[in-house]
Amino acid sequence: MMRDLTAEEIERYADGELDAGAVAEAEAHLSECARCATAVLSVMQMKRALRAMPRFAPPAALRARVLARPAQRPQATWWLAAAAVVAFVIAGGVFLRARDATAGQLVDLHTTILASANPVDVLSTDRHTVKPWFEGKLPFAVDVPDLPQPLHLIGGRVIYWRGQPGGYMLIGKGAHRISLFVFADDAVPRSIASRAGMTIVTWRSRGLAYVAVADVPAEDLQPLQRAFVRD
Amino acid sequence: MTQDLADPRSAFEELALPLFEPLYNYARWLTRDPIESEDLVQETYLKGLRGFGSFAPGTNFRAWMYRILRNTFLTSRSGLRAVPPVSIDEDPDHFEQISVTETPESLFLARADVEALGLAIESLPLPFREVLVLSDVENMSYREIAETLAIPIGTVTSRLIRARLKVRNTLRGQQ
Repeated sequence: MMRDLTAEEIERYADGELDAGAVAEAEAHLSECARCATAVLSVMQMKRALRAMPRFAPPAALRARVLARPAQRPQATWWLAAAAVVAFVIAGGVFLRARDATAGQLVDLHTTILASANPVDVLSTDRHTVKPWFEGKLPFAVDVPDLPQPLHLIGGRVIYWRGQPGGYMLIGKGAHRISLFVFADDAVPRSIASRAGMTIVTWRSRGLAYVAVADVPAEDLQPLQRAFVRD
Repeated sequence: MTQDLADPRSAFEELALPLFEPLYNYARWLTRDPIESEDLVQETYLKGLRGFGSFAPGTNFRAWMYRILRNTFLTSRSGLRAVPPVSIDEDPDHFEQISVTETPESLFLARADVEALGLAIESLPLPFREVLVLSDVENMSYREIAETLAIPIGTVTSRLIRARLKVRNTLRGQQ
């Protein structure tokens, strides 16, 4: 095919909406026309970018409200209970997979940062150095409280996760290293599963979500959580 | 007896609950507001359940639910505000004149960040925003989009072309 593809043909080709004959013709042209190929590629890139965008996750309470029914005749209740259980199991499966993926990503991030030659950008045990360092680098203020012994601050940096900026603090406890991620509240799922050998503790405070990842028991992270939640 | 009463309900839930997350996501793109989205999704499920008798089995249930959600949004206060006062399709041939002027320079999306892309989509007028979201976020076919929005497939195509052009121009303007 000699002529350039029309704008409509480019969209339809990229969207998989051309019939087989038209696809063959379009491809014959695309193989020899850089301009049209670029146009198709550009549409496909946008499609890919949109598909990869983080999705808005419904709050758990909404699911409960949707499942709640107006008052029923009593006979119908066991059917409702059964339907609710099915729904819960289906929803739970989806939910657990999402939790697991989130946990995997955060553990990967923790491991990658620890393996790096420069895990932190601001190296300081002094919270009065680390807190101001975050200022202007994040769309929210990161509070750096006094940490109870034996926890000690090592430093901080800015990270990106799922396209969202976050604060990162590296905290030591003996030879163990704890990663503490701080994001805007809505950037982090409500619940994150733990991984084998890794403890993940999540909490929320003043519009921020905190995720601590470490190879220590969950109890050891409680003093950390208390330090950040405390007024 | 009870079965007659309960069956449509469980049939509805079996079909509708897997759409819970996608419907909420779509609601967020329509309303751009988390609270409104929650109300919208809840109302959609109520209306869907109530009107389930009018759903023709074998037809596209997803499009049916999305249509309920969208119609509910359009009749809400913010929905009424979101609809452009004049037809945006009054110039159906316009996109034919959009010539293919892509150059390698236009392959910018790899560098455009997610946040800028999200904002560019949010700033689209509703008729463009919704076709783009249904096509590229919800992965619907043109036919399914046409069914959901109750517009001809040709209109889906032309709106998609213009939506993508607008997003590209917005992102380009920021660089």
